[in-house]
Amino acid sequence: MKVLVAVKRVIDYNVKARVKPDNTGVDLTNVKMAMNPFCEIAVEEAVRLKEKGVASEIVVVSIGPKVAQEQIRTSLALGADRGILIETDEEVQSLDAAKLLKAVFEKEQPNLVILGKQSIDSDNNQTGQMLAALTGMPQGTFASEVAVEGDKVNVTREIDGGLVTVALNTPAVITTDLRLNEPRYASLPNIMKAKKKPLELTSPADLGVELKPSLTTLKVEEPATRQAGIKVADVAELVDKLKNEAKVI
Amino acid sequence: MAKDKIGMALSAVNKFAGSPLVNKLKLRKPAEKIAYVSTRAGFQVLSSANAKVQQAKDFFTPPETKDLQGAELFDLSLSEEQQLIKDSLDRFSSEVIRPSAHQADNDEQASDAIYQQANELGLAAYSASEEYGGYSDTPSVLTNILIAESLANGDMGIACALLSTVSAANALTRWGTEEQKTSWLTPIIKSLDKPQALYATIAINEPMPLFTPDRLTTNVIPTNDGYKLNGKKTAVAIGDKADFLLVAAVTPNGQPKLFIVNSALKGISITPSHNMGLKAAELCSIDFDNVQLPEDALLGDDNFCYQTFIDLANLAWCALSIGCAQAIQDYVVNYCNERTAFGEPISHRQSVAFMIANIGIELESMHLLTYRAASRADQGLPFHREAYLAKVLCSDKAMEIGTNGVQLLGGHGFIKDHPVERWYRDMRAIAILYGLHV
Repeated sequence: MKVLVAVKRVIDYNVKARVKPDNTGVDLTNVKMAMNPFCEIAVEEAVRLKEKGVASEIVVVSIGPKVAQEQIRTSLALGADRGILIETDEEVQSLDAAKLLKAVFEKEQPNLVILGKQSIDSDNNQTGQMLAALTGMPQGTFASEVAVEGDKVNVTREIDGGLVTVALNTPAVITTDLRLNEPRYASLPNIMKAKKKPLELTSPADLGVELKPSLTTLKVEEPATRQAGIKVADVAELVDKLKNEAKVI
Repeated sequence: MAKDKIGMALSAVNKFAGSPLVNKLKLRKPAEKIAYVSTRAGFQVLSSANAKVQQAKDFFTPPETKDLQGAELFDLSLSEEQQLIKDSLDRFSSEVIRPSAHQADNDEQASDAIYQQANELGLAAYSASEEYGGYSDTPSVLTNILIAESLANGDMGIACALLSTVSAANALTRWGTEEQKTSWLTPIIKSLDKPQALYATIAINEPMPLFTPDRLTTNVIPTNDGYKLNGKKTAVAIGDKADFLLVAAVTPNGQPKLFIVNSALKGISITPSHNMGLKAAELCSIDFDNVQLPEDALLGDDNFCYQTFIDLANLAWCALSIGCAQAIQDYVVNYCNERTAFGEPISHRQSVAFMIANIGIELESMHLLTYRAASRADQGLPFHREAYLAKVLCSDKAMEIGTNGVQLLGGHGFIKDHPVERWYRDMRAIAILYGLHV
């Protein structure tokens, strides 16, 4: 079974994001970048499938500037077999990403595509679903458990009311939730082996996809700073404030 | 505000000086000259700079600076492999080592789970070449420094424990004969994924006043079938756990050498010692009483250089101090921004801010001296002077940063709820210990 995993280069989750002074976006100068945590879970799941003998080859694909190679190398160090970077300096929105991934899907013909449920920079939670729709593949989103049985894959999904398990025919799209697994640390020997694994560079034009942003960012702002709370003397005052000031009861 | 503008302008002219366009137009020297002159001039025209700075910024901002790889630039960035190793170990350090550091300090040992996880990372396999089970064609001192630094950022005691085996493996890789590598190095690497892994350590320090590694009293006397080892070593990390030791001892003609000593040999007695810091490193005292060593116990052949060995040991301790100092800096910055007194964060007080700024400056100098020594070592250039300077600076500043860390936390620095008191205790070891190797 061949597995395709999509990974995204995003601002490191430990970094406190700062908004650009002109409110056009997040300031990325000199900011540490890393692999999106949900993508890391996706890579880990693919590597586990390979260790179980279910997957035979893991291909990692990323879309972004040339430096996004770092995230592909990290995936290779975690255990993926080869990488593809679709190189572009343009902004890539969910639909464009899904179209690019569809092109890679058609070329690579994997049996399973695993993606993070969303990236922590734009929090769209769209690409996996769009890819499934564009390719006509069944989808198992927010996976907390993945079990492959022959040419079927059972995906346990985390939904508001609890868990739901869906059975999908392969090829299928899976998007990972936080509790699917705990990604490993890349070991030193594997990091050194990763250097020798193939990494192919391509571009949206090579894949016949034209990037057309469908959304325009109007303004990016910091969240409002929290105001200090107050102390109330008794329950009566609290109820009064809730009724008349906060107007919640 | 003026500072920011000047900063922007400086960065713009520097970017211009470094842009690939400049190379193409053969303007490298003139451009660097501009950068130099304008940097100097920049400070002189600070007051009237504002409007011009904006213009300069628009004019000088090169269209593309990301792929900047000008060969003539003084480049301090890490290689892709080094960055990957550092990223992976930094995470391991903050998610695994740091949370267990307090417990390990209390227990005076790191848990088996930590050793096992570290073994899975294959630290000891880094330097070894493929024929001995490793993966490295060109082991680098600098990469070893980065490894030590990352681990010590989690906890210096645990780092010291984990690095003992790595250090022994590094020393065997660098100095050992082919037979020694096959019989001592390969088994360590092969055992990394087994439940019962092999451990090793290096014993240099001796219990005497004003100890220096070039005045050893531990000695060997050649015998018909090998050597007889006598003496006393102290502050040997994981001394009790190690399956074999590399022991520094002096030969009858006064030459200091290293000997590979199986810790199960007759005449060796190991006593755990209880120390102020580095508790998780399980420091031990070891007595050697007429220990009979085989002929091939002498590490390496004529290639062994004791001075270089000590220089590399010193660099390892520099790396530990840098990792720990970084942890202190990050901790006090957060603390002083959050802790309020007189209605504002204490970082607004100059006496606090200056202290933190000094930690930043000192830490950067420790970094640069250490990296420079390591990079000279990797290039095969003499690096004794650089390693020595780094060691003196790091020993000195490690203690100062440790003390200041505690000071900045005020009363909180004194209690065990915050890790700074532990870091302070650990930092005292930098100036006095030797038993590691990068």
